[in-house]
Amino acid sequence: MGTEQIISMKQVRKSYKMGSEKLNVLKGIDFEVNKGEFTAILGPSGSGKSTLMNIIGCMDTLDSGTYDLNGTPIHNTKERQLTKIRNKEIGFIFQNYHLIPTYTVMQNIIMPLLMRGKDRKTAEKECLETVEMLGLSKRLDHKPAELSGGQRQRVAIARALCSKPSLLLADEPTGALDQNSGIEVLRLFTKLHEMGNTIVMITHDMNVAGWAERTVRIVDGEMYQ
Amino acid sequence: MLFSEILHLVRLNLIQNKFKVFLTSIGIIVGAATIVCVIAIGRGGKADVAEQFRNLNAGALDISYEQSESSGGAGFSFGGGSEGFPGGSERPSFSGGDFTPPSGGNMPDFSANMNSSSSSGKSGRSSGGSSRSGGSGFPDFGSMFGGMFGGSSDAKNTENITLSADDMDDITASVPGLSEATITYTTKQNIYGGNIEDTESYTIAGTLSNYAEISKLSLLIGDYISDADNENKNKVCVLGYNAAKQIFGSAEDAYDSLVYIDDRPYNVSGVLAEQGTVESGISADEAIFIPYATGIKYLTGSDISPTITVIAEDVDNISAVTENVKTVLAANYPNAEFTISDAGSKMEAANKSNETLTLMLVAMASIVFIIGGIGIMNVLFVSVKERTQEIGILKAIGGSRKDILLEFMMEACCISLIGGVIGVLVSFMVSPVLTSFNIRMEMSAAGAGIALAFSLVTGTVFGFYPAWKASKLVPVEALSGE
Ligand SMILES: Nc1ncnc2c1ncn2[C@@H]1O[C@H](COP(=O)(O)OP(=O)(O)OP(=O)(O)O)[C@@H](O)[C@H]1O
Ligand SMILES: [Mg+2]
Repeated sequence: MGTEQIISMKQVRKSYKMGSEKLNVLKGIDFEVNKGEFTAILGPSGSGKSTLMNIIGCMDTLDSGTYDLNGTPIHNTKERQLTKIRNKEIGFIFQNYHLIPTYTVMQNIIMPLLMRGKDRKTAEKECLETVEMLGLSKRLDHKPAELSGGQRQRVAIARALCSKPSLLLADEPTGALDQNSGIEVLRLFTKLHEMGNTIVMITHDMNVAGWAERTVRIVDGEMYQ
Repeated sequence: MLFSEILHLVRLNLIQNKFKVFLTSIGIIVGAATIVCVIAIGRGGKADVAEQFRNLNAGALDISYEQSESSGGAGFSFGGGSEGFPGGSERPSFSGGDFTPPSGGNMPDFSANMNSSSSSGKSGRSSGGSSRSGGSGFPDFGSMFGGMFGGSSDAKNTENITLSADDMDDITASVPGLSEATITYTTKQNIYGGNIEDTESYTIAGTLSNYAEISKLSLLIGDYISDADNENKNKVCVLGYNAAKQIFGSAEDAYDSLVYIDDRPYNVSGVLAEQGTVESGISADEAIFIPYATGIKYLTGSDISPTITVIAEDVDNISAVTENVKTVLAANYPNAEFTISDAGSKMEAANKSNETLTLMLVAMASIVFIIGGIGIMNVLFVSVKERTQEIGILKAIGGSRKDILLEFMMEACCISLIGGVIGVLVSFMVSPVLTSFNIRMEMSAAGAGIALAFSLVTGTVFGFYPAWKASKLVPVEALSGE
């Protein structure tokens, strides 16, 4: 099953209006990811990495082009359906964690499962394994504010993993971490990759990109394989 | 998402954001409390008016006569406008044609003179001015002036007129559209009996048998004064509720006991039910009612200024009836101006001013609510960035719009409900304070309900709006928190 495509993007364009001018951020991206791949998207700041990632994660609309995720034409899909896809297919790890500050670690982690209609008990049970793997067992009742950056990132990863998505997206997962915590996270990614997860990771750091199986470059809105 | 899980999230958020919940609530608390109080004050005012006028018949006209105090500057027109005589040598012969010298004509005493002139039913038709000086012969200041400026002045009510049952009969005979008429007077008398140790002064009301019905007085025990009591000048009385309590301890003890009014024993034939405070007329609770004629015979003589009350059959007809009554009285007393007050317009005026007050209070409550709403919005807009981001996160991890909106709406509902309930509680704590400032308040479940509904709507609308707006954004936009 090695060549089964999860992501298939063709000529994807995205622009932002800046006053009267149009800022072309993505200038016709062609991008494919096969199932089980660990891909790094490497590019300088402002090159459009996050913009691309948001589109891959079904969180933003694209101006033109096509994007198929697991065979679903995302460019033609309504927000209501996209919500379900985000919940089932995608585990998103944000550059700045995006945890809900009022909830405990556990509550944050089980949110995607709750949104699937599960009750708290079931959801907590399903997450236990992941929580243990990420070494968060002792922090479950803490609030995000009481955790270190690395711990927060692991909570975000746990949240993304628990819903067992077919695609794991990470926007600068090491960006806010010191070197050791960063390496820890990257080891985790390698492990997840070995477990069969499909991972797309964004970074501006060549060394970080080196952990991935495959690296694509994005410069000024254009992609170089 | 399971509804129970949504509620759990709401609980988590409320507990976590206690301070924000409190800040948001304050506006609602104040608003809800104000609404409850405004409604209570409005109802209190209405109840006040209703109570004060409870014993008034809407079609009732009270006719009374007040003698002018400043007789000095008044011009006397003897016998209806004949030229004045200088000096104080007037004799009764100056008076109008049908003047019959009153019994007191030879009484030198001025006040007795007054009584005598009014005691003869028909003498009212003659000019009181002449009867005043009549008999006494001594030059009185007023008539001296009258003589000097006779007829040139249009001041009225200098005469001494006492309305009588005859006047009442005149009115009922000549004015169409009347259903009832009665005449009353009040006097202060010392009484004793029952538990009273020395004597005490009470208001004694001389009334006819129909007074109870016209004034909507109901009896707790016994019967009201009858026509026979009046005709035979029986010494019977009916006690007001408080009077009975004060004199005898209770209505039961009072009934069929004796009360000594001006040292004469009166049998208590009945006790009235409690009436409460009244706006006008006799305050029945404290009064003692006796037959009209009995009082004149034993207590007052004719030194009274009675009020004739007539009831118009049709309340809408009241102005015509008023005019007719005036015409009849003017024919009998050409120089007198009578005070005619109708209960309906008094009630209307009281109700109107009460409505104005209520309207003003409602306007005030609205302002408070708008200010409260702005307060809520402020608090919410401060946290909107934070909440928008939260909505972005929820959307990004696959929360449906419905779930997200439901959560935020339940949150806003809870906050406003908490605020509303506290506000209602506060209003119930505040009402005794306001009441102690003599503001009458009628707290009601309806008022509390309206306040709760109001706070629920305001809180939900203001609290929900930012969430509704954020939920429409694409996840990235919401995440960026703008
Ligand atoms: N919402 C927006 N409105 C207008 N311009 C935007 C918006 N989002 C991004 N841009 C612009 O698009 C370009 C690409 O932004 P993007 O966030 O994708 O860069 P990036 O490669 O992720 O950079 P970084 O490494 O710093 O995160 C930038 O020039 C940015 O200013
Ligand atoms: Mg970025």
